[in-house]
Amino acid sequence: MTTLSSPNLADGSVLITGATGGIGEATVTRAITDGAFVIACGRDANKLEQLSSQFEGNIHTLCYDVTDEKAISNAFREVQKGVSAKKWPALYGLVNGAGVMSETVLAMTSADALKQQMAVNFYAPYQHMQLASRLMSRQKAGSIVNIVSQVGELGSSGMSAYAASKAALTGATKSLAKELAPMGIRVNAVAPGFIDTALTAHYDEKAKQKVYERVVLQREGTAKEVANAAIYLLSHHASYTTGHVLPVDGLFCP
Amino acid sequence: MENKEKLTKAFTESLGIEPQLVTDELTYNTIPQWDSTAHMVLIAELENVFDVMLDTDDIIDLSSVAQAKIILQKYDDNIEFA
Repeated sequence: MTTLSSPNLADGSVLITGATGGIGEATVTRAITDGAFVIACGRDANKLEQLSSQFEGNIHTLCYDVTDEKAISNAFREVQKGVSAKKWPALYGLVNGAGVMSETVLAMTSADALKQQMAVNFYAPYQHMQLASRLMSRQKAGSIVNIVSQVGELGSSGMSAYAASKAALTGATKSLAKELAPMGIRVNAVAPGFIDTALTAHYDEKAKQKVYERVVLQREGTAKEVANAAIYLLSHHASYTTGHVLPVDGLFCP
Repeated sequence: MENKEKLTKAFTESLGIEPQLVTDELTYNTIPQWDSTAHMVLIAELENVFDVMLDTDDIIDLSSVAQAKIILQKYDDNIEFA
């Protein structure tokens, strides 16, 4: 029998990538509100500085590009050094929130664009899970939440590269839930639908209305609603849930 | 505690084996206790005890007790196994 230990969020640190994006920032805020110490990772140094001031004492920021393998390794070394020096508690949670979205039809998708989707949306979270799971194994407890997408779950015309990269992450989520359970680590995913963030900022009102027609709740979601789902899966409230993909999409019907 | 003792303890506790089994010749997947799951526990324990973070290539190469000593020494000059 595998009993997955799930300490309260307030007992551990949570590393969040894409922390300067809409969903990432909302997740940082919610995690700190729930008592976690957050290691916020992103590329926007100014935004990280703001978060650092806003949540002083409950946050440590790391500025790096998630496609830089060396930078990711160094980030985790810094995390562990902080734990050893008792600057923050042991790593309990990881939220892979960094992502990019390409909207191009098959014939117009360059090899470089496809590689970039895979690098940011799949390889980077994969490497983060590799390193985070090793730190979590030391406590035999941890929770990983990947931000995937309903586009990856259901498909969407003109978004095959993005869909493939997110579907790859869903596959890894389900497999790693099985592989890491003996180490006390749960792995789940949140699949947002149409969410009001920078990724969808280029949609005008007419385009938005067309999307809403396919959403049962007839509106866009908010970053906070996605963050709430991510924090639920991260927390001990979801202690018997692993390998699942939780849609936050207002029931999207493609 | 001497590094050699720390290494032996990491292997015995991670793999659930007796200390006398922890020799340079002990190799990954040659005993039932050192399977892929135990390997991850072992890596976490070695990193914890010696306060290092191993590169993925080194985790792949860490296939014996002898290899573990060589790899750990790469990360810190103070780690010796005399």
